[in-house]
Parts: sequence; structure tokens; C-alpha cells
Amino acid sequence: MPKKQIGSAIPEMFREMLEKPSTEAYPFKPIIVPDRFRGKLDIDPAKCTGCSVCSLVCPSSVITMVDMGIRKLADRELKVRKPVFDLASCIFCGECVDNCAFNALEMTKQFELATPNKSDLLMKKVFT
Amino acid sequence: MSAQPEKPPRREESAGLMEYSTESLVPFGPIHPALKEPEYFKLVLEGERIVEVIPRVGYVHRGLEKASESRPWIQNMYMFERTCGICSFVHSVCYAQAVEGLTMFQVPARARFLRTIILEMERIHSHLLWVGLMGHWAGFDTLFMWVWNDREVVLDLVEAISGNRVHKSMNTLCGVRKDMPENMEDRIIERMKYLTDRARYYRDVIDTEETMLARTEDIGRVTADTAEKLCAVGPMARYVGMRRDVRLNDPYAAYDEVPFDIVTRNEGDVHALLRLRLDELVVSANIVSYAVKHLPDGPIRIKIPPTIPAGEHSSHCEAPRGEIFYFAKSAGGRTPERVKSRQPTLANIPTALEMLKGQTLADVPIVLTAIDPCFGCMDRMSFFDIDSNKKWTWSGEQLRQYGINKYFPERAKRQLHGQKFSSAGLGFKEKF
Repeated sequence: MPKKQIGSAIPEMFREMLEKPSTEAYPFKPIIVPDRFRGKLDIDPAKCTGCSVCSLVCPSSVITMVDMGIRKLADRELKVRKPVFDLASCIFCGECVDNCAFNALEMTKQFELATPNKSDLLMKKVFT
Repeated sequence: MSAQPEKPPRREESAGLMEYSTESLVPFGPIHPALKEPEYFKLVLEGERIVEVIPRVGYVHRGLEKASESRPWIQNMYMFERTCGICSFVHSVCYAQAVEGLTMFQVPARARFLRTIILEMERIHSHLLWVGLMGHWAGFDTLFMWVWNDREVVLDLVEAISGNRVHKSMNTLCGVRKDMPENMEDRIIERMKYLTDRARYYRDVIDTEETMLARTEDIGRVTADTAEKLCAVGPMARYVGMRRDVRLNDPYAAYDEVPFDIVTRNEGDVHALLRLRLDELVVSANIVSYAVKHLPDGPIRIKIPPTIPAGEHSSHCEAPRGEIFYFAKSAGGRTPERVKSRQPTLANIPTALEMLKGQTLADVPIVLTAIDPCFGCMDRMSFFDIDSNKKWTWSGEQLRQYGINKYFPERAKRQLHGQKFSSAGLGFKEKF
């Protein structure tokens, strides 16, 4: 059994004093996130075909499909549907991005989503 | 309006208190700085020593098992991952293994190795978190800050591989979703070597530093017989000398292809737990280094159909806190018929109560932290009747009867006709 002593960590303390601080100056300097970071969900409305696969695979029911009218294709009438995201309940798993066959969805690197107003997180980009 | 229920007697009969007893009763929890999650322990003290502990669990019941019955198989993975905020990946692996057992598909070798790497990284970060908390409760806050600084090293690696620090969302049925990034091998091995050195240094510190020894040595003693009788799991079994580890006893993922040996200690006090977890950290770092070097080529996942064949399967894994258990039952549909999960803290609570007996009141936070509690994970069911202000729990037999009534109504009917119904189950409310 090694000898008991008080202050066995003091040499380490002096070593730590010479090093730069471990904390990040976050609000003043931006944080660099890794390539695979899953942040705010984003959609490219031009690529989206409204197939609604993303709304089916979403584990937390973030995505709801909204009817956007009727599109005529030759002699057929097709319902146009587009997704609306409620990011307040998003768990950032990326399942919708993996399942999108048209690469319309993307997890951006943006993570500053705090807002006093919950309706700010309702993403209706497809309507604009 | 119904009659007011009788007020319970003031004297705590369950605690064995006499009217002029020297024993005093101290409530510990549900909200207490030492407990990160609400849980209640009724401590019976004689002088300053604890003679009896009466736990009351069930504050953080979230209804996970019932919620899983209304969701598709793959979406349940993300929900069960959120059972725990520290060891999240092992829950998804255990659930996935239970479901994979129902299908005829095999998990690819590369996926099994990737699972092993993430599982061991998670063990490292969970153990480091725990060592830091122990330093905090022993009054050694410097250790707490150093350890949590080193924990960032492994969390950065996890974030680079999976894309998130805690909830990796990396697992899927029959595989993993993310492959190992390119040029990560050297970085992981170098960081693991750094963590190994740090773990060895911390072990020296806790062995020699008198402030730490004074708070941990000879505290929370349990004998091997007691721990075995009370079915302790994980580090709580290994610190009294039992070789109980699912990774070794029933290998899952790629543990049968990775050479390693588990660590056990014989002292059976809180200091032995500290030594054990720091030694386990070195073992985990070695497993990660080996698995990264010997990562096989091939696919990382197999796409499986959304419906799972009918049947039952169970799986168990070694979480940082001990053995977790998942049971999945399918009726052949897109959603499970029943999923059961058992978390290690629930199995370790009886041992923790034995550890507390004979300790002083000031040692309660450190002993309760020593079992690495995750109360939010373990709470499964309890009942409250607001109208009559009653609360009760079910025994194992009552739960079994409830299960028979719910899932096998014909059998319950047969029971009713065959014999006069008297036991618990249908009439459970009147009985209490």
C-alpha cells in the first residue's frame, strides 16, 4: 500500500496552472462542430416531392404533411403535399435525412435554437 | 362525497420505532442535492449511525414500456436510447439485440465492432463522470474538475464518430447508421493512450491522497455473500470479488473477438469501487484501441422489413452500471406487443441499503453516489389514487396475474371458471 500523504495532487495543480484554460470562450468565439454534427433541420423546397416518407419515419412526430392544393399532370390530378417541421419536439436523430430519397433534407450545423417564442420553431419554409 | 380516509398513525410502525425510542427518523429526498433524480430514502438513525433504510422508488415513472407498444420497431430505438442520459447507447444496443433475435438477419461484423467501440467509449465517459462526482462528494472538487475535463476528450471522439455527444442515434436494427470516419484511427488510439495515463494517475491520487481515503476507506462495506444474495450487478458485484460481467459471461457485439479480462477487487468498500472503475477504464481504453485496429471491412447495416416475425426474445448487456435486460415480444406486426426493460440501479438498490447500514448520516451522499444511481432509468410503475389519497405498488404475483389477464384473456377466464377467484388481479383495488 503506498504511503498516505496530503496534497499528492499539488504537482498536477502547478502543471495545470501553466496550461491554457479548458473552458471555451463560447459566446464570444464560435464553436467549431464536427462534420457529422446534427443541428437544425433544413429543407430545400425545390427538391422536395412531398412523398411524406420523412413524416412516417420520424420518431417524435415532428413532421406533418400539409395539403398545398392540386397539381395537374397530363390528365391526372395529383395532391401536392409539403412537410412542416415543429423543431420544438425534434430529437435530432437524422432519421428523416437518411430516408429522404431526393436529398431535400439536411441537418445543418446551427444549434442556437433557444427562443422565448415556441412558434418560432415551427418551420414553414415550404410555404414561402 | 365519500368519507374521508383515516389519517395514518403518527408512529412509524414499519420502521420499528417505539414511543420513547432513541431512534430518530431522517427523510432523505425526494429532492436532495446528493440525488440527481428524485428518490426517497427513509433513514432510521440511532445517534448518528444508520440502523435501517426504507426506500421508496417510483418517482420518475415515464411510461416508456407502454409508449413502445404504439410505435414502430425502429422508432422505439430512439425512445429507449433516451431511457438514460449517460449510458444511452447500451440501451439501444440491448433493445436492438432483443429485436434482432426475432428476425433471421445477422448483424454485419463491422457493425458489431463499431457498436463495441461506442459502447466502450460510453463506459469510459460514464465512469469518468462518476469518478468526478465521487470527488465532489468527498470534498475534493479539484479532482471533479480534472476528471470532467478529461471526459471531454472521449465525448469529442464520440461526437466526431456519431454526430452527438450523448444521444448518439447511431444504432439501427441489424447494423449501425454511421461508419467510422476516415483518418480517425490514429487519433482514437492516441487519445485512448492519453486517457489510460490519466486513469493511472488518478488511481495514484486516490490511493495516496489522505482527504480522499478518509472519506472512502471502510465506508459502505458489504460482504460477498450479502451482495450475491441480493443479486448485485455490474461494478457492485465485482468490487466484492464476484466475476460477474455480461461482456465475459455471455459475449454480445464483438466482445468474443476482442481479448480482454474484467477487473475484480476484494475489499468491498467505496474506495475499492473507485479503484475498480478506474481500472475498468483502462480495460475499456484497451478494448477501443484493439477494436479500432482490427476493424473488419464490409457493410455496416442490413435493411430489414418494417414488420418483425412473431415471437419472443430477450437480451442482456453490460451497461456501465451493471447488467441491463430487454425483452421484446412481437405479434408479427409493425409495432411490438410488449417490451420490458430492467435497469441495473433497480437490482443494486437492495445492496445499497445494506451498504448504508452502520454508516453515519454524513456518508449517505457518498454511498448513494457510489452505486452510480440512475433512478430515472429504473422507475417503472407505481399507483396513486388521487380521490382516496392512496398509493400502492404491486407484488410480483399481482403483476403476473395482471399480465395473464391482459395478454391471455382466455386463460384468465378459465381460471375464473375453474376456481373461485380470490387472489390479486381483478380485485386489486379493493385489496389495498
